[in-house]
Amino acid sequence: MLGFSQVKDSTEVTYKKRVLESIEVDFLMSYYKQNGIHSAVSGGIGSEKLTDLTSNIVVAMPLNDDDVLTIDAGISAYTSASSSNINPFNASGASGGGGDDDRAATGPTGTPWQASSGASAQDVYASVVANYSHSSDDRTLVWNADVAFSNEYDYTSIGFGGGIAKLFNDKNSEVSFKVNAFLDQWRPIYPTELHEYASYGSGFQSNGYFTGVTILDQNGNSSTAYLPSAYKNWESTNRNSYSASFGFSQVATKKMQFSVFFDVLSQSGMLSTPYQRVYFADKANYYIGEANYIPVYATSQNQGVYQLADDIERLPGTRFKIPVGARLNYYLNERISLRSYYRYYWDDWGVTSHTASIELPVKLSDKFTIYPSYRFYTQGKAKYFAPFETHLSTEKYYTSDYDLSTFNANQYGLGIGYTDIFTNAKIWKFGLKNIDLRFSHYDRNDGLNANIVSFGIKFVEQ
Amino acid sequence: MKKIILALVVVVSAISCNSVKEYDKQYINDPDMKLSARSSERYETTFQVYREAASGANGGKTGGGCGCN
Repeated sequence: MLGFSQVKDSTEVTYKKRVLESIEVDFLMSYYKQNGIHSAVSGGIGSEKLTDLTSNIVVAMPLNDDDVLTIDAGISAYTSASSSNINPFNASGASGGGGDDDRAATGPTGTPWQASSGASAQDVYASVVANYSHSSDDRTLVWNADVAFSNEYDYTSIGFGGGIAKLFNDKNSEVSFKVNAFLDQWRPIYPTELHEYASYGSGFQSNGYFTGVTILDQNGNSSTAYLPSAYKNWESTNRNSYSASFGFSQVATKKMQFSVFFDVLSQSGMLSTPYQRVYFADKANYYIGEANYIPVYATSQNQGVYQLADDIERLPGTRFKIPVGARLNYYLNERISLRSYYRYYWDDWGVTSHTASIELPVKLSDKFTIYPSYRFYTQGKAKYFAPFETHLSTEKYYTSDYDLSTFNANQYGLGIGYTDIFTNAKIWKFGLKNIDLRFSHYDRNDGLNANIVSFGIKFVEQ
Repeated sequence: MKKIILALVVVVSAISCNSVKEYDKQYINDPDMKLSARSSERYETTFQVYREAASGANGGKTGGGCGCN
């Protein structure tokens, strides 16, 4: 406040406070674990077990009084039962000599309800974002530009963007506008059986992986009739995303402020995930594995048979999204504040959703704050979604990914924060500013649940 | 819908005429009053974007990465 009082509102500036006094370093990490029963890789049934460990380091550096450069680098490692079943066949398997190969020693088996030993069971995601921001002398105009890069085994993303924010009305009001573009590239991997069909055509059952492998029909009898004739590999594998965001924030009273956001997002290209299977109701079923599990295929009692795909999900090549959101924060008293958020979302795939969340930070002392939170989310399904074995082969677009289904979700969270404004604890020439630890439990009413623990620690240069 | 938007515009315009002086912003400047998500919420936002069809209008990332696991 002292700093602000020394800045005049006119352009005649006698002194200006640095936008960022010294280097700030944030170490962030999270551990995420989920389980569910609607694996998209297995066409809408099967284990969705997934664990993910992520860490980021964010360094904000003042370049001069007005300019700040922020570098955010992160790495994430996950294991996933669902994606392991791109090649579901244990003690066997093939995907054309790729990393998922695990050549047959005995008859191959698999199940949507367990992770396979395929290499696609784990992956590492790495990302880096650089952001440069500049503030005007009177601190009422801020512009920024950023570039981003991320990479994982089958996906690379390059992004760039920029924005501008203007404060007025004694800095009680702010309008902002930003744009972003992400130019992404898939290196698609496909379900094993479809990969083999694409590689060898109609003779695929006597070549590659299928050589010597018995395929079963619905009655458990050996069959050579499996032919996923609807299937073809994606030819164009790019995905572009463009967004424009408008924001307005306002200090309403001494104890209340709010903001509203309005985004317009457009995506084009390969918006489908190339390894998510689809099974058609009007096509015969074929399996690899143990015939005695076929009658209980769609239940977790299935420990040894996997159904061969009719196709992968096919979604339109464009998607247009409009989310509108608002935040309202109210300072109740010196101990308790109220933070609230609401968002309405619409897209041209037929999805609409509402998100509402509330958080009540409670100051236990001048250093410790706890913040319980609750979030409710509800969405209506995309028009291209249908459950396992209910799509028809005559449809143009189809998916059995339950992330696009109708569901409600509840999330309960509790966090604790430690703040030391005097940065008394030190490591080398950096003082500890704050620590945040947060736990949340997420429940979706389609059977998916997740837990996440997040940890953050901030240091400032002394 | 038009009535709601009109009402919002009127309310926002009326409030925008208010001016809280810098020396009266000790409550507004409390760290818990920031009009943005906490930095420790970023990972929750990421998994929500993966597990839900909706995204955006939260100041978070709106693209990049397949979000497919």
